[in-house]
Formats: sequence, structure tokens, C-alpha cells
Amino acid sequence: MCSCRHLVLVVLSIPVLALSSAWGYEDGVVSNGGKIAGTVKFVGEAPAMVKIETTKDVEVCGKTEKFDEALVVGDGNGLKNVVVSIVNIEKGKAQAAEGGTLDQKECVYRPRVILSPAGAELNILNNDGILHNIHTYSEANPPINKAQPKFRRKMTQKFDKAETVRVECDAHSWMKGWLVVTDHPYYAVTDASGMFELAEVPAGSYILRFWHETLGEMTQDVTVEAGQLVSLTVEMVQN
Amino acid sequence: MARRELDDEKKSYSGLFLFCIGLLLMGTVWSVWDDSVSRRPWKRYQAEFARISYDKLTADLQREEERLANDPAYQEALTKFAEAQDQISGGEGAERLAQLQAELAVAEVAASEAENALRLVRSEIEVAWYEYDHAIITDHSIREPKEHLNALLAEAEVLDTDFKAKTAHRDQLQNEIDEINLSVREWDDTLRRLTSDRERLKQRLDDTVLFASDGFIIPYFPAINQIVLPEFDRSNFDTPLQRVDRCTSCHIGINRSGFEDQPNPYKTHPHRRTLLGSHVGCTPCHEGQGVATNSIAQAHGNVQFWEHPLLEGEKVEANCIKCHADVQDIEFADNIARGEKLFMQVGCTGCHLVEGYGDARKIGPYLRRVAAKADPSWLVEWVTNPHQFRPQTRMPQFFFTQEQGKAIAAYLLNASQEEGQAWLDARPAPEGIDPTDTALVERGRALANSVGCRGCHMLEEGQTATLVGSAKTYAPLLARIAEKTSSRWLYYWIKNPRDYSSHTAMPSLRLTDDEAKAIVSYLMTLGEKPAAFASRPDLDDAELINHGQGLVRQHGCHGCHEIPGMEREGRIGVELSAFGSKTLEELYFGNRTDIPHTWDGWTYYKIKEPRGYATERIEQLMPWFNLPDEDIRLLRVFLTSRTEGEFSEAYHALSKWTPALVEGQRMVHYYNCTGCHVIEDKGGDIRVLYQESPTLAPPILKGQGEKVQPEWLYEFLKGPTPIRPWLEVRMPSFHFSDTDARTVVDYFIAQAKLENPYTYLNPAELPPHMVQAGEILMSDDYFACFSCHQQGDKKPEGPPEGWAPDLELAKDRLNPEWVVKWIADPQTLMPGTRMPSFYPGGPDDILDADEPKQMEAMRDYIWTLGLPQVAKLADPDSAAPAEEPAESTGPAPETTVPSGESVQTDKQYVAPAVQRTDRG
Repeated sequence: MCSCRHLVLVVLSIPVLALSSAWGYEDGVVSNGGKIAGTVKFVGEAPAMVKIETTKDVEVCGKTEKFDEALVVGDGNGLKNVVVSIVNIEKGKAQAAEGGTLDQKECVYRPRVILSPAGAELNILNNDGILHNIHTYSEANPPINKAQPKFRRKMTQKFDKAETVRVECDAHSWMKGWLVVTDHPYYAVTDASGMFELAEVPAGSYILRFWHETLGEMTQDVTVEAGQLVSLTVEMVQN
Repeated sequence: MARRELDDEKKSYSGLFLFCIGLLLMGTVWSVWDDSVSRRPWKRYQAEFARISYDKLTADLQREEERLANDPAYQEALTKFAEAQDQISGGEGAERLAQLQAELAVAEVAASEAENALRLVRSEIEVAWYEYDHAIITDHSIREPKEHLNALLAEAEVLDTDFKAKTAHRDQLQNEIDEINLSVREWDDTLRRLTSDRERLKQRLDDTVLFASDGFIIPYFPAINQIVLPEFDRSNFDTPLQRVDRCTSCHIGINRSGFEDQPNPYKTHPHRRTLLGSHVGCTPCHEGQGVATNSIAQAHGNVQFWEHPLLEGEKVEANCIKCHADVQDIEFADNIARGEKLFMQVGCTGCHLVEGYGDARKIGPYLRRVAAKADPSWLVEWVTNPHQFRPQTRMPQFFFTQEQGKAIAAYLLNASQEEGQAWLDARPAPEGIDPTDTALVERGRALANSVGCRGCHMLEEGQTATLVGSAKTYAPLLARIAEKTSSRWLYYWIKNPRDYSSHTAMPSLRLTDDEAKAIVSYLMTLGEKPAAFASRPDLDDAELINHGQGLVRQHGCHGCHEIPGMEREGRIGVELSAFGSKTLEELYFGNRTDIPHTWDGWTYYKIKEPRGYATERIEQLMPWFNLPDEDIRLLRVFLTSRTEGEFSEAYHALSKWTPALVEGQRMVHYYNCTGCHVIEDKGGDIRVLYQESPTLAPPILKGQGEKVQPEWLYEFLKGPTPIRPWLEVRMPSFHFSDTDARTVVDYFIAQAKLENPYTYLNPAELPPHMVQAGEILMSDDYFACFSCHQQGDKKPEGPPEGWAPDLELAKDRLNPEWVVKWIADPQTLMPGTRMPSFYPGGPDDILDADEPKQMEAMRDYIWTLGLPQVAKLADPDSAAPAEEPAESTGPAPETTVPSGESVQTDKQYVAPAVQRTDRG
């Protein structure tokens, strides 16, 4: 009877162990870590940027020209705003304690795609002097819709669970952004020339995930050796 | 002779006796066995449950022990407790404690002696007081009594001091002892707290069995468990009868948590908390023979002549409706709720009377003027086989021959000829309808897809709209509408359906003539008129008409349609009020042997193949609805609930809101309000068209009763006025009768359970400093409310899809208390709304940062919007018209409102109550 019970405990604990290995991330010290750096390129001819008509609060929002940033292709077809992350990392450097800073600048989210560690306070700025609101379309985290009137130049918001969240302002329909709540520090967003870098990666084999709001996602396997740099170029296509 | 007698006496019968004794013994043993074991299967289950329960609790206990063993907090508490006990059980601590306890014993005696002495003297004082008073009254000398009294009082004082000192000494000793024991007690409490789960498990284990040792258990003596429901049923003589359910004799774990994974009968009820918490008994829901305990078959009522066998599968929900008239609203009753709704929506009530549903409205179109509407060829085809023209129509198929179809069409067209023609004569064919004008057709298509037709109708194949059940359409699919009718009829019909038909669920969308012409032009491109094979002259034959009239009457077409000449006809089907109680003997299976001869089988196949029980001698008339399997099963659940006899009203779940909820839901189903609106978290079918921009969809009616003023809602229902003018989709005019409009209003009030739905806030009586604070809060410097909200003629910037309702309408429309709640937390009242939360986080420099006050101030300000003459309302005497400040007559509402008071009170608007800090 005794041994039977132990067997049951062992069997019950198997799925728990499996889950923890899939989702858990453990902070630690990475010595002599490797680096993954590369460029994400857009395949094909870059579509022309579409200008946004400013229809509201023109004196603030219309100061500079605005373009729809759903697909921004830079020099050498470098693709901006791709979220690059390691999917299956279990242990590595500690995640930052501070959250990111999202600025609503002249009625555009800066940056358009922001990374913010789970559980940290995301700083949300409004120096526009007009009413904005942060409306998130999240599933894992409770969705929020908070007003940020002009007198509240800064507010903070905590997101506890990792997910990619669409952010919109209901007062300015063109304002769209993405908040990526991360559960580990191996996330990066490509810059205007499509470049990204993930540093202090412990040696090992990983799956890299590339996600773009318009082009969807793809994955690539990568092996990192201690102290070495892995360079790669990835191409994303419009379906 | 004598010899033979002697022989008999000598003969031994002991063998026979032994045999008989044996037989008797066996008989006795058998009867005891039979009575106590074989006819009491529940004993076995109780014993087995005791075993399961014991094993489970033992395992739980063991797990708990292991958990405690690994719990550092528990281990620490154990150590600390032991340490604390050591402190007082040996060494210096123990000596001190013993000494203190000895002293305490002495002190206690001393204190109690002092108390006694004091009491004695006090009682003597009472006597002395009496003697003293008595001396005064009787004019005796008071000197002596007074001296005596004074002496006693002095003595009492001394004794009191002594008593207080001794008590204090005793308490101090007790405190010292408590101090020493404190640590022990505290850790003891901690231990108790940490082990409370274990102790509870131990207690439960003790209660589970009579005796247990090392896995061997003796269960408690088995006993019948029963639940008695007094006065639950009525006998045939209408006397109250109690209902006794002994189900828990076998289903012993039904109301205990932790047996969810066990098989029946040990299993925990799947909805234990809801259904066993507030409900009584088992058979009120499950049926069966509650008192029977001899066998499972008997207990479950699966025996001949028992009229209420156990309800299984989806039928288990059937009885919910017997106590819950508002079954559409309750949990775990989806099947019966859908069955009831389907029963009404598919039109069963047209032919069958069912108690409680007798006043259901006719669901079919109005045929008094059908001659003005229907193409004769189409009508013949339609009557002959409606499913061929529209497979999803609710109209059933009567299996008429084409000749019969012709006859019915002939009757309908001729009987409606006069009225139809008169209607048509008064409505000339409109100019400007042209199905060949592509631009016009496209405009019509766009309109038909946006103004609200899609809330009920599919216009073309492949679209979706509200369904009745899972396969029938609520409103006709219009893909072949041009085959059916003329553009002239369609034009007047969509402009105002009530103009043609005195009652119809189809509302008016208040289309302008141009809009209606565009839509009709588009609709006339849907379908092509086939070559006419029947024309009016063919159908005007008197014999044919006569034949048709007979068929219409015989088949009860008037059950669903208004038909001229059929006004006095009644329902043609059998009454179904007690159909669920029908026994097999009462059900006629005809010659069918291929189906199960059960109530379930009969009912299922009656709906599936309604003419299946017809024989050469017996004709059957019920038409074929072509319902999918699932819907037939739902209807069967509803029919199961239609039984003879009712549960006593004391057991009904009725609240004062129930009637309004039931009536309201029937209205909602009849008019398909949920085609556009989400009501009670159901419906909103049209929203599939607005997935990209949900804000352009018709509003979700959540908490509507609490949100709007009933007078406003009533008027709005009678004559809708746009609240969100930027929406293309329109709230239609249903031309509700007063009763219908009130039913809807009461329905929303009942949903919100509002005791007093009427609220009124007089704008003239609002404190000026609040109004002004509200204005500042809502200005662009603070919450910038008018960045999105319309205010009378002042429209917000930006495209209309970003706009929010006109706040000038709020005072007449919204409940003032709701507005404050809404500002406080819009996301809770309407999840997903675009209205952002402004609180917590109001500004510090308005109304002393008092947030509830700030919200109230905004509400107060909103209540003054659009009222330029607040001053007159507030104080007609104090302000002569000539003294009105210029602003109060100015056209711009935002300047008139806060300063709308008279000249002398105008100063209040710069009252120091509101101080602004300029934040630049």
C-alpha cells in the first residue's frame, strides 16, 4: 500500500515537472555567455508608407507628419519592430526590475513596440497636454482602459503575466502600439535597420522566435557557444 | 387394531421432526437474509462508501501529516512550544511558578474572605439604613440609628480598602503566572492553528466509521437516509402530500465534497454548491421513486406503471421550469431554456394549447391582404413545399400536392382580395425603383447591410443572422425575395410594416423614401421571377377556392397566420399541457415497429417524422418542421416538463421580479431584440458584422434598468430618437403598444432588481460650487470629456466612430446615481467600453481632492447642460428678467450653464470652494 502511494505521487508530479520546465525561468549569473546578433530583412519591395490624416487635436498631433507604422522597412530592407526572443530558455541573467517607458508623443506611441518585464511597473508618459487613454486588449492580464488627462503626465501600470498586448488610444484612433510583457530578459526589438542583439546568453541550443505585428511569426534554431557571437540574418515575407 | 396403535407409538418421527426443524430454520435464516440483505441493496453501498470514505480520509490525513512534517513553520512551533514548556516544567522557572501558585492559592482565599466580610457589613448597612429611615418616619429618635449607621459605614470603608488590596494582590500574582505561561499558550495557539486541518480530518475520520484499526473497519449500522418534503404534492383529492426521498441511502456521498472522481452511487453531485445548497430533495428534479429502496430499478422508477421514471441525459433539466418560471435566466438549465424558447419560436403554440403559453402571439405573417403581396405562382409553390424555396424557414411542410397547394393559394388570394386591393389602390407604385441602376442597387445593398436589416435577416446566401434553434432562421432569408413579391409592396412594407400588417415583429427603420427605394431596388435583384404557371384567373375557380378553404381549416393554418374567414377557428392540435405524463398506453405507434416503444421514442419520432404513425385508417395532420436532431431533443426536454400536477407553490422559486422577467424574455424572443443587442449576456448576433469596429455595433444592454430613467426608456421604445447619431445601424420603431413598452421597461427594472427605479435631480437645486467644479473637471484642462462626448450641437473633433453620446441628453435619459457609478468605474459596468477610467487619480486641486465629490460634481454639471435658464428655475423671485446676465441667454451652452444664476448669486461661481492651480 505504501509503495503504491509513492508511485501515485511520482506519477502526479510528472506533469508538474514538465510544466515547470516549459514555463519556469530561473535567474542566475551568466559567465562567459554568448551573444546572438543579427538582422531581420523584409523580402520583396518595401511598400510605401501610408500617411495618417490627423483628424483630432491637430495643434498637438499634427505638428509632424505621421505614417502608419504597421510595416516599417528601412535601409537594406531591414525590418523594424520585430520582436526577437528565445522561446525555450530556462536559466540565464536576471530580468530588469524596472519596467519600460512608453511615451505618448504627439499622439504616437514611442516606441511602437515596447518590452516590459512582467511584474515591473511600466511608465506611461503623456507630455502632449491633451487627453490620452491606455486601452489594452490583453488576455492573460486583465485588460485596462485608463485615462491619462493632461495633468497626469506620468502614470505606472503593472502587468503580471507575459504576453503580447495591443495598446490603443480611444481618443485618437490612429494610435496603435504593442506592449510585450516578458518573463525573461532574452527579448529584443529590431531597430530601424532591422538589427537586434541578445547578449549574455548561456551556451546551449535555442529556438529563436521572430514576431511582427503585420507579418506574423517564425522561428529559427540557434546554437550558442560560450563567449562566441552568433550572427544571423532572417527574412520575413508578407503572406 | 390395538397392535397397530402400539406400532405407531413405537415408531420414531425424530427424522421427520429434524427435517422439519431444518426446513423451518432454513426458512427463518432465508427470511432474515432476504429481509436484511437481498432486499436492501443500499446497505452494501453504505458499507462500501464507509470504506471509500475511510480510505480517502486516511490518505488525506497522511498527506496532511507529511505536509506538516515538511512545514518549517509547524516544526518551529513544535520546538518553541516544547522549549516554552521546558521553561516552566523544570529549573528556576518551575520553582518560581510553583511558589507563585502557592502564593496565589493563599491570596485567593484572603481575597474571598475579605469580600465576604465586606458583603456582610454592606448587608448590615442596608438594615441600619432601614432603621434610620424608619426612625424618621415614626418620629423616634434618630441619633442612635444614625450613629450605628455611621459606624458601619466607616467599617465598610476600611474593609473595602482591605478587599481592594487583597484583590489587587491576587490579580498581580495571576498576572505573573500568566506571564510565565504566556509563551506556552501562544505557541499552543499557533500549533492549533497550523494543525486545524489535520484535527478536522481526524474528527471526520472518527465520525466516518464505528471502529477502525489498522485498515480494518466496522462501519456504522446501516440506516435509511431520507429527505422529507412536507406538503410538496397534492393528492387526487387535492389534499397535501409529503414527498419522501430516500435516494441518499445509496447516493451517500452526493452532498459531500471530495468524491467527484468516484463512480455512482458514491459520487459527489456535479453542481453540489448551487443545486444542493438551495434545493430540496432529489426527485423534484430527477424524478424516480423516491421512497423505494428494494432495488435500483424500483428506486429509479424504471418499473411498470410508475409514472415518473428517472430523468436522464438532457431531460434532467426538464423540471427546473416547474419551480423557476424564469428558466431562461438560471444556471444549469440551458437545455430546458432552449427547449422552451424553441417551442414558442417554432410556433408549436399555434396548434397546441399548453397551459401558461396560451396567449403566445401568432408567429406567421399576416394574410388578410396577402393578395396585395404574393405572386400567385410563388404562393402555390410555397404552400406546396416551403422548404424547397427556403430550407431554413420556420414554416413547416404539410406534404400538400400541387393541386392542394393551388387550392389553398386560391382561397388565400380570394379571401384577401378585397382588403388587399383596397390597400394597394391607396398606395400607388413609387417612382424611382430600378433594379437595373447599379449605383442605386449598390446604395441599397450598403444601406440594407448597415441600417439594421441584418439584425434579423440574411440578405444573401452564406450570411449569418439570428437562428431559431440551430437551423431555422428567425426572419426570412431574402436571397430570392424578388420571386415572391412586387417592388411596390416591398416599398410600402419596409417603410412601415405596421401599415400593411396590424401586428408583426418586423419593425420600421424609419427609412426615408429615397433609402427605401434604394433598398427595394437592391432587393429586387435578389432572385428571378420564374415563368408564371399559376395566374389569378386559374385560381379564381369557386370549387378550387372552396376546396382550399377546407384544407386551410383542416390543417389549422390560422394557428400561425391571420387569415380572413378563419377568425372563429381554434387550435387544431391536441392539448399538450400534460403531455409529459402520457403513458405508453396513451401513445399510438401506428404500425411502426422500427422505433423504441417508449415515451422518448414516440415523442422524438413524432417530431422527426410527424406522419410516421399514420395508417390506412388513421390520418395524421401534423406538419414536418425539418428540425435537426439537437432541436428535437430540446423540444422533448420541454415536453417532459409538461406533466399533470404541480409542485406546491411554497417550493416555487418566485420573486417579485419573476413575472416581469418572464414576460420580458418572451417579448425579447418574439421581437428578437437579441438579434442586435446583447441582453443578459446573450445574443448580439449582428455583432459579427462589427468585429473590426465593435463600437459601431448596437449597444450592449448591460445593467440597462439601473442605467436609464424608466420614463425615458418608455418614451424611447415608443418613439426612438438617436442617442449615438454617428451609428449607421438604427434602433427600429417597433410601434409598441403601451403594454408592450411597459413590459420591456419592467423587464429591465426586474433585471436590475430596482425597488425604486424613479429618480429625479433638479438642476436648479444643485449647489453652484459643485456645478462649477464639475465644469472645470470636464474641461480640456482636466478630463477633456468633450474630446469624445458630443454636447448638443457641439460635435467632438475627429471621425464619428470616435464619438461618445451627447451629454446634453443625459439628464433626461440617465439615472443620476448610475452616472456617478459609471464615472467611478466604467470598465466594471461595461467590460471593454471605450470610456476610460479616470479614477482613482483625480486632480488634487479640485474639491480638496475628494474623489467621490469630484464625480458628483461632474454629474451635477452634466445635469445643467443645455439648460440656459437655470436661474429662473432656481429662484423666480430674486431675478428680474432684465437683470439676467448676458451669458444666460447666449447660444453657447458651455458659457450659459454655470453662470445661469441671478446677478447677486453669480458671485458664488468664484467661491473659494474651488481653487485652481494653473498647471500651464
